[in-house]
Formats: sequence, structure tokens, C-alpha cells
Amino acid sequence: MNKLYLWGIIITVAMLAATYATVGYQKGGLNGDIVNMLAVAGAVALVIITVFVVIKYVRQMQSDTATGELADESWDNIGEYKNPVPFGWAIMFLGTIVWGLWYWTIGYPVNAFSQIGQYNEEVKEKDAQFEKKYANIKGQELVNMGESVYLVECVACHGLNADGNGEEDAADLNKRISEKSVKYVVNHGSNNKLLGNEMPMPDRNGLFNANTGALITDAEIDAVAKFVAGGLKDTNSDGAKVFAGVCSSCHGPDGKGMEYVAPDIATWSKPLIENVLNYGKVGTIGKMPAMDRLNAKQKEAVAAYVMSLSEGE
Amino acid sequence: MFHWLEKHPFFFAVGVFVVIAFAGLIEIVPNFAQASRPVIGTKPYTTLELAGRQVYIKNSCNACHSQLIRPFKAETDRYGHYSLSGEYAYDRPFLWGSKRTGPDLHRVGNYRTTEWHENHMMDPAAIVQGSIMPAYPWMFTNKADIDTAFAEQLTDQQFFGVPYNKPVPMKDGTTQTVKLAKSVAEAHADALAEAKEVASKMKNQDVKDAVARGEIPEIVALIAYLNSLK
Repeated sequence: MNKLYLWGIIITVAMLAATYATVGYQKGGLNGDIVNMLAVAGAVALVIITVFVVIKYVRQMQSDTATGELADESWDNIGEYKNPVPFGWAIMFLGTIVWGLWYWTIGYPVNAFSQIGQYNEEVKEKDAQFEKKYANIKGQELVNMGESVYLVECVACHGLNADGNGEEDAADLNKRISEKSVKYVVNHGSNNKLLGNEMPMPDRNGLFNANTGALITDAEIDAVAKFVAGGLKDTNSDGAKVFAGVCSSCHGPDGKGMEYVAPDIATWSKPLIENVLNYGKVGTIGKMPAMDRLNAKQKEAVAAYVMSLSEGE
Repeated sequence: MFHWLEKHPFFFAVGVFVVIAFAGLIEIVPNFAQASRPVIGTKPYTTLELAGRQVYIKNSCNACHSQLIRPFKAETDRYGHYSLSGEYAYDRPFLWGSKRTGPDLHRVGNYRTTEWHENHMMDPAAIVQGSIMPAYPWMFTNKADIDTAFAEQLTDQQFFGVPYNKPVPMKDGTTQTVKLAKSVAEAHADALAEAKEVASKMKNQDVKDAVARGEIPEIVALIAYLNSLK
């Protein structure tokens, strides 16, 4: 028997024994664990294949002699035979060229990884999920969604009680409008895109009282502010008369507003709240930033929630 | 040359390294330079904002707050558009941060107001339920360091070419010019003018009085800085 084969068998047995010893003495050993068994089977296969291949090439080195026609060129005195390229190599060589062309023209430019591309896909996917899941949300569910958005986005200024910390930080959302705000708006005018477009309300120098034929006075402002903040209920008060004379021409006799002219100042409404979220608002308390990063459904939900706060009054 | 290289494997290896490194550099450097140019809408800090930035660093705000919005839906939903490299063009040093004990602040100016910051810095837990952020009451009494802020502005302009006194393009197509004062006294006057604007929206009487006296409490500078983060 060839000495080489003998060594091969000895090394194979030794390596397999070492593998067995190493695995066998591990805690748990092979004990039916499929992953361990696969790993050991792989190790055994590797050992056998390696020994077989090494023996083949060592034998080839021992017995092979070079034959064939020498090339004319000599590179640093290293000669080279004119052998045809092995078929497998030729295939791989050509395959590499084809792959290279594909990669340069299509593979890299079209399929390249992009962090932002991945982000855009994620957004598209999540938006689609959101749309699908909440397409038909309504009623109490919509209010609940609005509350959860409120608790993340709005609570910082409007507060947990939605009273804006006593109107220190933000508007009190439990009622449509406060006396302070009415006075401010009458005195300074307003242009908050509450109807979705530019529609300025004049300041007190542009507000005529039709009953008296003169500009609105301080006393009238106080009266009308009280009336509007009270929800336009006390129809026999002085404020109601001022409202009828000054405000109703745009805001309507019931304060419900008119499309394209003036917003509803009697109750909260969906388009009103959505426009505040879209464009932000500047008023007596300060500046509310636009919350335009909310999606349409979330804005609708916030509107439903805010409207639910003053329900039943 | 090549014969010589073939006989000296060490220098051959050095040659290979240089060639490959060069190829890498010409791929990476131009893109990197392009990405780190200021984006449209990024403008240099004013003196007061820079003083506020120093207050931010001094109190180690960046230990708990990052200024880097990653491109994930969960983050952009909460904080706004993901951050771009060019937005940090005038940040020296950048304040990316590596740990978010608190929320990211890179666009805090978009969704918090002067009043909010004022109340929050005095007593965070009163504004945000369950907040573990400590209060920073000393910011309402400590005075902001306008001298250092002005020195930093000068350095930024003269050594790093930050475009003070030059029009900077804004997102709406207009340009804005951030002024760099000509003297320390002018810098103080400009910062005070800006501080008055911030303080006019604040409620704390001590702070209002201090600004009226010509002093600038740290909180005013900090709020000016936070409001500039957009």
C-alpha cells in the first residue's frame, strides 16, 4: 500500500477522533440536537474531502512531468507552456465579463442600496397600512385616535385638561373661544387661514356697528366678548345686540360662519380645526405652529376629539 | 520601474495600497464634500443663538438629547424630516449625540414654543407627565456669555469662512443675511435686541426685568437657540 494513503488514513482517523472527542465532551454533546449533528457531519465531510484532495495533488506533484510547447516569451526567465485555457476557466472568465457589464449598466445603478430609498419604501408601506386599517374609522374610535394624537402632539401646550394651562400656554379647547381671544381678535383683526385661504378680518378700525352707525366701542367689545365666549346663548344681552350689529354680517346671525367669508365662532367644526392644524394660528396667547406633519386622517381624528370635548354643553 | 517593483515585494505592496487608496478617495471625497455643503435654508447662528448653544453644551444637554433624526418612519413621524449632513455645516462641534434619554431636538423649533420651553426648563415634570428631566432653574439667573459667543462667531467667519454678512438662500426662495457685529459692544447690543424679542413672549418677571436692564439670562439665549433648530 502506498505510504501516502497510509498517512491519509492515519490523519483522517486522528482528525475524526479529535472532532468526536471535542464534540462528545461538550456539555450536552450531540444529544439529538440537529444543528450539532449537521455541524459534525459537515466537519467529517470536510476532513475526508480535504485528505482526498491533498492526496490527489501530492501524487500528481510526485509523478507529473511537464509536456507541451514552450511559449517564445520568457518573463524573468520563467517559461510558460502554450496550454489551451481549461474549459471551466474559460466559462468563468466569460461569465465574469458578462456579469461585469450587467453590474456596470444595470446591477449597480438600478439595484444599489440607498438608505433614503429604503426609508421611502418604508413610509409608503406604512402609509398604505394606515390608510387600509383606518379607512372606515368613525365615531368613538375616531375620537380615541384623536385623543392619542392629542396626547403626543398637542398636550405639550394645550395640557392634559385641554385648557392650555388656564389659557397661559394655549387656547382652552373645552369651549370654542374665550373672552380674551374675542377681545384680541376684535382689537387686532385676524388672518389665520381658518377657512383654508387668506381671508383677513379687519381690526376695530374696520368694524362698524350697524345699530349705531359708528365704529365699535370698548364697552361694546366687552359686551360682545362676553356674549361670544358664553356660547352666544344669552340672546337678550347687550352683547347679542352688538353681535347682530357688528359680527353677524360675516359670522352669521347664529355665529355659525359663512363659507369663504368667516369661520364658525359658535362651535368647533372639522374644517376649522383642520385648517388650524394645517396653517397654525397667531392670537392673543401666542403662536401655534402648523401641525402639517399629521396626515389627513389624524387631523380628522384630532378634530373629532376636540369637538367631543365641548359636546353636551 | 515595474521590473524593480517585481523584485521588491514590499514596495510593490505599498504601490498597490496607494493605487487602491487613491481610487477610494476620488470616489468618496467629492461626494462627501458635496453632501456636507450647507443645504438651502441653513443659516449661520446669531450671537444670541450661539450663546444659547454654548449654554446647551455647558449643561450637557447633548448627553441625553441627540440632534440627528434618522431616516425611519417612526422617527420622521415624531421629529420631522430626517437630518441631512449639510444642515450641520455651521455646527462646530456638531451635537449629534449618541444616546437618547430624552427626545431628539434637531427640529424642536418646529413644534415647541418660547413659552413651552420657559415652563419646561423650570419644571419639566409639570409640563410633560412622567418626565425624568431635571429642572434648570439657574438658567433663569445665570447670565449668558455674549463675549465668547461673539469670539466664536469671529473665528467661524475668519477661519472657517462661515457666511456672516452674506445673503444665504432660504427655502422659500428669498435670502437672509445673518449679521456679524463689528465690535463687542455692537454684538452685545444686537444680542440684547434679539433677547428682547424672545423675552417679550416669556412670562417670568425676573427674566423680563433682567432683559429690560440690559442683561441676558442664559434661558433667553437657550430658547433663542432651541427655536432656531428647524
